[in-house]
Amino acid sequence: MSHGKIAIIGIGEVPTRSMPERTQWDIIYDTCMEAVRDSGLNKNDIEGVVSCAPQAQDRLAAELSFGKLPEELGLKGCKDSVVCNAGGASTSNCIRLAEQWIESGVAKAVIVNHVTVQSDIPLPDIIAFFGKAGVDMQWEYPFGVTYNLIMGMMATYFMNKHGFTARELASVTTALRSWAEKDPNSIFYGKPTPSVDKVLESDMLATPLHKREANVLADGGCAMVIVSAETAKKMGKPAAYKLGESVRYFSGSVVMRDFDQVEEGFRITAQEAIAQAGITKEQINLWNIYLAYAMCHPIMAEALGVCPPGQAGKYFLDGRMSFGGDIPWATIGDAPGRGHTGSGVSAATYVETARQLMGKAGERQIKDCKYVFQNTSGGSGFNNIATVWGRDF
Amino acid sequence: MQFDMTKPLPVVQPWSEKFWEGTKEGKLLVQHCKDCNSNIFYPRKYCPECWSGNLDWIESTGKGKVFTFSTAVSMVEPRFMDELPYTLAYVDLDEGVRLMSKIVECDPEDIKIGMEVEVVFVERENFMLPYFKPVNK
Repeated sequence: MSHGKIAIIGIGEVPTRSMPERTQWDIIYDTCMEAVRDSGLNKNDIEGVVSCAPQAQDRLAAELSFGKLPEELGLKGCKDSVVCNAGGASTSNCIRLAEQWIESGVAKAVIVNHVTVQSDIPLPDIIAFFGKAGVDMQWEYPFGVTYNLIMGMMATYFMNKHGFTARELASVTTALRSWAEKDPNSIFYGKPTPSVDKVLESDMLATPLHKREANVLADGGCAMVIVSAETAKKMGKPAAYKLGESVRYFSGSVVMRDFDQVEEGFRITAQEAIAQAGITKEQINLWNIYLAYAMCHPIMAEALGVCPPGQAGKYFLDGRMSFGGDIPWATIGDAPGRGHTGSGVSAATYVETARQLMGKAGERQIKDCKYVFQNTSGGSGFNNIATVWGRDF
Repeated sequence: MQFDMTKPLPVVQPWSEKFWEGTKEGKLLVQHCKDCNSNIFYPRKYCPECWSGNLDWIESTGKGKVFTFSTAVSMVEPRFMDELPYTLAYVDLDEGVRLMSKIVECDPEDIKIGMEVEVVFVERENFMLPYFKPVNK
């Protein structure tokens, strides 16, 4: 097993909901304070702040970029503060930066946080933002592209290549929602998991993608406290140790994306991250996958070798990745289950990785969870970052 | 609630102006690197393969095949609502490059992966957008 360099020792999160009554700073206070208290550190022990760049929230982005968070929260020991933007891969980069600050001696303890409040953004503005984000303004946007169309084109390709059926793809949503139903932080907490038939009965958005297979925009926020692995060990508290990482870049524009290269990227990054962690894929207790759209999950499952080639659709349809199934998978339900919080679903996925390794996941707790594989992906899928985390090092 | 309903125009870079000039003459141009012989899409300032600035243009046959596609049925930007349902596709041109475009002049249900298509230019203000239709349609 690899000797990790950093560990998450504290987590804080607010439920993902539509919360126009809560300001972004209201959520920042609650999540950061909860994470610091959970870590057992004093607020003044926090020496660095790395925030995920808020999407479609220009004012907040400017405030965070200009260092307001340490001042607002009275982090008297803070030495530096920065915002990091790589779309859905922002959190991975925030953690990398925290790792660099800790290793280089800039900071001993770093807060990584995310907040998104979209419910108070006027509809025309939110449509205008997501309509253009990650879309080429010369070669894609004038033709009427949307994220749903992009995913629809990917799904059409992979259904043709792998033989996935519409029922199999719909069953991914059912699997993700089965975890969300049990997750107090999910927008769908306590709401009945839709059956495969129910998913398929929902309106078509962009063939073959149905409404229930897409995402609901929501507000949310979370925070993590990160220290060196040695410090975490000395503190003797439950922690999530980073053990391995690998990444591949695909393309900035969707029109340039080679879908086969994406599949290969999923496969090789997992292999490299698991090898760096010094374990085997059979030792992974939870595959905590973040891909934003349900239809990408079977591709990932096959690339990871979690199921044999051509079998991923059947695995999902048989409920093997659902709550209660034998393959723990995306235990917050990814964006279709959690609610889409801009670049925040990946942050929430890291918090869940830590929560599972700390043994704090309640009804969704994976028994004897020692190793978690987690990925993130930025923009409309410009890269894939694979990481492995352990409860010890 | 006020939505911007204007149809977007391509945001052109200096090195892609020739492409758009070509569309006005009914030509689908593909950028070509005279040093490494690569065909390039989308057009760049320098060749993405060898960084040469020795770039030229070739005229595409305008023919290609559908690599993949999806038909939008709902939930598009308000400015595109009047076009629903519409199909976008990745089209692999005979010249070995891939672009994203709209498939027109056919029933969306007839569109298949591998379907042969050819370019047809559709006017939007002072631009001619390259759409594709089934061959022999």
